[in-house]
Amino acid sequence: MDSWVRFNAQSQAKERVFRAAQYACALLGSTLQNDEAAEIRRTVSQLEAHMSLTRKLLRLGNSVEALEAAKRSIHLSDSVLRLCLTISHLNRAMYFACDNVLWAGKTGLISELDQHKWSQRSFRYYLFALILNLTRDAYELHLLVEREARSRTSKQPSSPSIPLPPDHLPSSSSPATQAVNVGWLYRQLHLVGTVLYSNPPLLLDLVKNSCDIFIPLDRLGIYPTGPGFVGACGLASSVLSILTMVHPWLKLKP
Amino acid sequence: MDPFVKFTSQSQGRDRIFRTAQYACSLAVYLLRNNSDRKDLVAKLKSLETSLSAGRKLLRLGNAANSIEAAKRTVQLSDRVLRLCLTVANVSRALYFICDNVLWAKSVGLIRNIDKERWSLNSSRFYFFSLVMHLSRDVYAVLQVMTKRSRDKNFKQRMDQHLTENPEVAEVVVPHLDGFLFLLLETLKSHPDLALDSVKNICDLFMPLDKLGLYQSNGGVIGFCGLISSLIGIVTLTQPRLRIAP
Repeated sequence: MDSWVRFNAQSQAKERVFRAAQYACALLGSTLQNDEAAEIRRTVSQLEAHMSLTRKLLRLGNSVEALEAAKRSIHLSDSVLRLCLTISHLNRAMYFACDNVLWAGKTGLISELDQHKWSQRSFRYYLFALILNLTRDAYELHLLVEREARSRTSKQPSSPSIPLPPDHLPSSSSPATQAVNVGWLYRQLHLVGTVLYSNPPLLLDLVKNSCDIFIPLDRLGIYPTGPGFVGACGLASSVLSILTMVHPWLKLKP
Repeated sequence: MDPFVKFTSQSQGRDRIFRTAQYACSLAVYLLRNNSDRKDLVAKLKSLETSLSAGRKLLRLGNAANSIEAAKRTVQLSDRVLRLCLTVANVSRALYFICDNVLWAKSVGLIRNIDKERWSLNSSRFYFFSLVMHLSRDVYAVLQVMTKRSRDKNFKQRMDQHLTENPEVAEVVVPHLDGFLFLLLETLKSHPDLALDSVKNICDLFMPLDKLGLYQSNGGVIGFCGLISSLIGIVTLTQPRLRIAP
């Protein structure tokens, strides 16, 4: 009970729980396609809209938090991380600002608001932020894979099959070169798998961002996947972020 | 900017801000209700108030557990009166939250066959009872401090000085009233947390009194009282020394 109370006291935690519930409703609504469940579907979509509006209310001050996070990430030592994280936080701040305008429009504070235009704008900023987060994940993964590969070659000085990258080989595609290509690919995948298995925060962040990216891709019409898939992705990423809140060691730093 | 971020990252901080905004809107709507050229603004403020109220109801969904935890803590207090008042207040607050959650479920459509009026009345009753218990605790704490002070020699000197300074007041039919009021005001001045908590509880009391029909007041009074109590709530959250303990 005590851990629930502490969890509940954090505003962000509540927002994540509502996000999970909202996407669960979206998933449920998309699975109930027959006519008998029309009543349930209406209730579920009403609940989803209510949660979405309340989450917008809860996010009213988040632009400031994102700007503060951007101010902190400017001081990072690694230049790639500094670039990715600062721009990602700035994009998130713009996303929250658009989201606040949408909330004002939905509650009636701003009377004539082009909701579709502002919604598209907010999803664009969200997409940029997610792309930058994924770039940061790929960069961290690349650094860790290089380190792992170096430590492996230093442990085994006389390895029987040295993994040569494919572009060093002649362009003729004989069965021997194809076998070496596949072998190299297998070894790289094994390396990536080992690195991700031993770095749960990176794995969690990668999976979370990959799930999240389908939402703006669908809403902007770039890669439409349908409400069910979007709901499932949203639910998965919300559950993962709740997990990082309950176990703070799972959060990727910085 | 940093203290603002720290404040809003607490769930309670955000809820207090929304409550302040909600009651400010309610008061503004009441004040502008007869103003014909501000009808647009009044409509906007009304819709903002409803959306804030609905959002806050959703945000209160887990709070019954908080109150039960608080009740578990107050059951272990050493002072018997405090233990009784605070535990009963927390249990009553938990029951209020449960009724409120049921009403939310009805408003969203998750539960259908419940008597909304009965549940709304019960939630007001539990809230009213918890406020009465909190006020009893305030009165008990004030009386304790007052009895301690009246025995203090320095204070007796100051009170005698005050009474002799204003002889025309002291000779009034109830001379003891002047001394009592002086003692009360001195107590409240030296214990600002007690004063703020009492004012907050008294202001909060007007809402259930109106809902239960015990003391009908208009929307303006309720809006004003709600605004005052929300502002006090924000102040006690930002200045921990002004928060009453336990």
